[in-house]
Amino acid sequence: MATPQQLQLLAPLSGVLMPLDQVPDPVFSTRVIGDGLCIDPTSQTLSAPLAGVISNVQASGHAISITDDNGVQVLMHIGLDTVNLAGKGFTRLVEDGQRVEAGQALIEFDADYIALHARSLLTLMLVVSGEPFTWLSPETGMVEGGQPLLGLHCVERIADEPAPEEGEALFSRTMTLANPNGLHARPAAVFAQAAKGFSASVYLHKQQESANAKSLVAIMALQTAFGDTVQVSAAGQDAEKAIDTLEKLLTSGCGETVSVSAQVEALEPLSSKVLRGVCASPGSAFGQVVQIAEQRLEVSEPGRGAQVEREQLSRALAQADLALQLLRDKATGDAQAEIFKAHQELLEDPSLLDQADALISEGKSAAFAWHAATEATAALFKGLGSALLAERAADLADVGQRVLKLILGVQDQAIELPEGAILIADQLTPSQTVGLDTRKVLGFATVGGGATSHVAILARAAGLPAICGLPAQVLALRNGSLVLLDAGKGELHLDPELAAIEQLQVDRQRQEQRHQHVLAHATLAACTRDGHHVEVTANIASLGEVEQAMSLGGEGVGLLRSEFLYLDRNHAPSHEEQASTYSAIARALGPSRNLVVRTLDVGGDKPLAYVPMDAETNPFLGMRGIRLCLERPQLLRDQFKAILACAALAQLHIMLPMVTQLSELRLARQLLEEEALALGLAELPKLGIMIEVPAAALMADLFAPEVDFFSIGTNDLTQYTLAMDRDHPRLAAQADSFHPSVLRLIASTVKAAHAHGKWVGVCGAMASETLAVPLLLGLGVDELSVSVPLIPAIKAAVREVDLVDCQAIAQQVLDLESAEQVREALRLYHEATVDTSLVLEN
Amino acid sequence: MFEKMQRAFWKALTPDLVVDEPKVVVPPVAGLAANVVAALGGVDNLKSQKAVALTRVRVELRDVARVDRQALTAAGIPGVMTLDGGVVHLITGLKS
Repeated sequence: MATPQQLQLLAPLSGVLMPLDQVPDPVFSTRVIGDGLCIDPTSQTLSAPLAGVISNVQASGHAISITDDNGVQVLMHIGLDTVNLAGKGFTRLVEDGQRVEAGQALIEFDADYIALHARSLLTLMLVVSGEPFTWLSPETGMVEGGQPLLGLHCVERIADEPAPEEGEALFSRTMTLANPNGLHARPAAVFAQAAKGFSASVYLHKQQESANAKSLVAIMALQTAFGDTVQVSAAGQDAEKAIDTLEKLLTSGCGETVSVSAQVEALEPLSSKVLRGVCASPGSAFGQVVQIAEQRLEVSEPGRGAQVEREQLSRALAQADLALQLLRDKATGDAQAEIFKAHQELLEDPSLLDQADALISEGKSAAFAWHAATEATAALFKGLGSALLAERAADLADVGQRVLKLILGVQDQAIELPEGAILIADQLTPSQTVGLDTRKVLGFATVGGGATSHVAILARAAGLPAICGLPAQVLALRNGSLVLLDAGKGELHLDPELAAIEQLQVDRQRQEQRHQHVLAHATLAACTRDGHHVEVTANIASLGEVEQAMSLGGEGVGLLRSEFLYLDRNHAPSHEEQASTYSAIARALGPSRNLVVRTLDVGGDKPLAYVPMDAETNPFLGMRGIRLCLERPQLLRDQFKAILACAALAQLHIMLPMVTQLSELRLARQLLEEEALALGLAELPKLGIMIEVPAAALMADLFAPEVDFFSIGTNDLTQYTLAMDRDHPRLAAQADSFHPSVLRLIASTVKAAHAHGKWVGVCGAMASETLAVPLLLGLGVDELSVSVPLIPAIKAAVREVDLVDCQAIAQQVLDLESAEQVREALRLYHEATVDTSLVLEN
Repeated sequence: MFEKMQRAFWKALTPDLVVDEPKVVVPPVAGLAANVVAALGGVDNLKSQKAVALTRVRVELRDVARVDRQALTAAGIPGVMTLDGGVVHLITGLKS
């Protein structure tokens, strides 16, 4: 091998050459795998560019490599992302280990099928063994299959075979591959490249087989698939580091996006002791981990005749229906009963039954048919991009599993719970939660799910703390290990120290004391220590709530959600009904208090039966709020007329939701003036707008002269500013109103309003958070409209701060980077200023 | 000719006022230049056409025999792949 010799590589295909740098796939264009060339094929048979032995032909037929007698290794990869075709469109003509001549046909492919179903047909020929080469033809233009293309200089190869292992090999933990197609060319290349960075010899093991981790082809030859368990071993000086790095790389998908929930075992070591998620039900608990996993069921595909299978399916469906009825009757709350009722309805869903029936007619078993039908429909739900529908997919999976178990005769194993259990699962299905002994459960922690998931609903109904959206690492926690669930903060503390547990108890007691304290002082005015008064009003949606709000010290109504008059009915409420409701609420407040009525805020996400609307693909960006009302002006006119009936009974304010354009405000004002004129009113009520669309916040200086007030709806403002659905199971944790971008919009809105002498309120959920109080006061907000039970706490929070301090902290946090940083800064501020007199521990 | 020069002159003096003309003439069939369509046997010979696989335009022709390979090469199509059923892939390269 010491004598340089030249080896010619022939064109494996006819086609148009493309420079490797331009190939739109970084793994190839950066030459991580090796240098070589790219052909956009015009022929459909891939031939051997050199004589040698097939060292690896992928089962899916889209890639193949040949090793010659001197160790030169050439990889050919047909198309980009063709691994996803799983072999369709490719016909292998050779086998692993077979000796081939140069020019021999290796793989036939259907170019039209691939062009229509894969990303690209661009075909790579790469010298993975690393010999330098020269071009024997022009580097661009057309090539003919079989034409000599590259001249390889087979100088003495750098031994990339590992030196004999020194010392003992170290082994990594076993990991489960999360790559949907296993370690195919791309992730394998990334992995091999990383392995080459270590002097230690590194091997990748799959069951009894193993491969030199520095050889791309060897890794590919392992033919790993999704879900395979693998292990890395290394021997040599930097073995430990190699294992650590490669373990992380495998876990993270080797450059491929992998779904986190799929890789239960492939988890990074739990480096931090705190896992974060979203609060689904507030509270805190200390207990032991109980992992709840769904059983995997074996389903055989062929049936024993359509008649038999059909009968079996309908028998199972009937049994499932009966079981659900029993659960409904036994259900402890309405929420649970409703869920099981919905499940019963799914059992009768015609499209589901049709799908299953069609499969049975094709000769499949009842179990297979039912499973396939529910899976397909669940996938459809998930793909629709709505968090709510995605959670309904969980329902479907739950019903699917229930029926499947009945068909297969699998007994449900009752889960034996230890005392003080904190249940951990990817998703908890209603069927799993219903059988639980809630006396033994202290809390829930799940990876999936959001504010509308069952866990959230059931946990809230049971008054138990719950966190959703935790990282998948939580599924690796050992059963019986001790955790501290702090749902309010969205935190799960692993292996908490005694001090933390005691702290939790102390906190709980203090919260209880504080609650009693603020309740006793609810009627005191909300004045800061330096004498600045802030109006604390109530968000309400019924007459009953007004009375409650007044008794808890509410100084008015900052948001009356008028939708309650319109929802759940088949026709619009009459003028008399509307007018008498508004008047009753106004009377309860009295002539000196503010009543802010928000006009109808509905849209495609919560349509009204009597306001037919076309389905919208994205209702939150569709005909909502004022947009809908201006499209149906009579609806708005009628509402104005009814609201104006209570004009003299309280300080009446009318507020328009979802305003984006100045023209919307002007048009609504015109309608209001016309209605007031018709009623002969001398004085118009105050008219303001919600600031919840970023456009309105950014143009607040133009809106301010034309309104009497602004009220910031932080919930919508946050989701529109961050482009994140608040109920999204994975994003909810980030869709935080404390994000500096949202705070900046609030700051500029207040500035614009005050420049024109107008007041600004906040009526979103943020106003109800005590942590936000110093921030909102500091930004200059004049009114906080909060959910009724929290009025005393918010008033107390106002009384604890100095406005000057608030202004200073507000200015500081505007320059922070993230919501977490803002929250942390506010917590520190709170501890440093407010609680020092009360808290001795800190 | 004179007009062109005058325009170029004006363009140089007042770059903001003279709008750049699109460099490519808008083809009669969306996505395919007129000379390519002609080389494929004219619009009448074209049953369907669509961009596929990043670098290709897939056309379905009524009569593959009417394709003029030389004219296609002249029209700047470096590679042509003739498949079954009147399907032809024109390799047009990556769009920049």
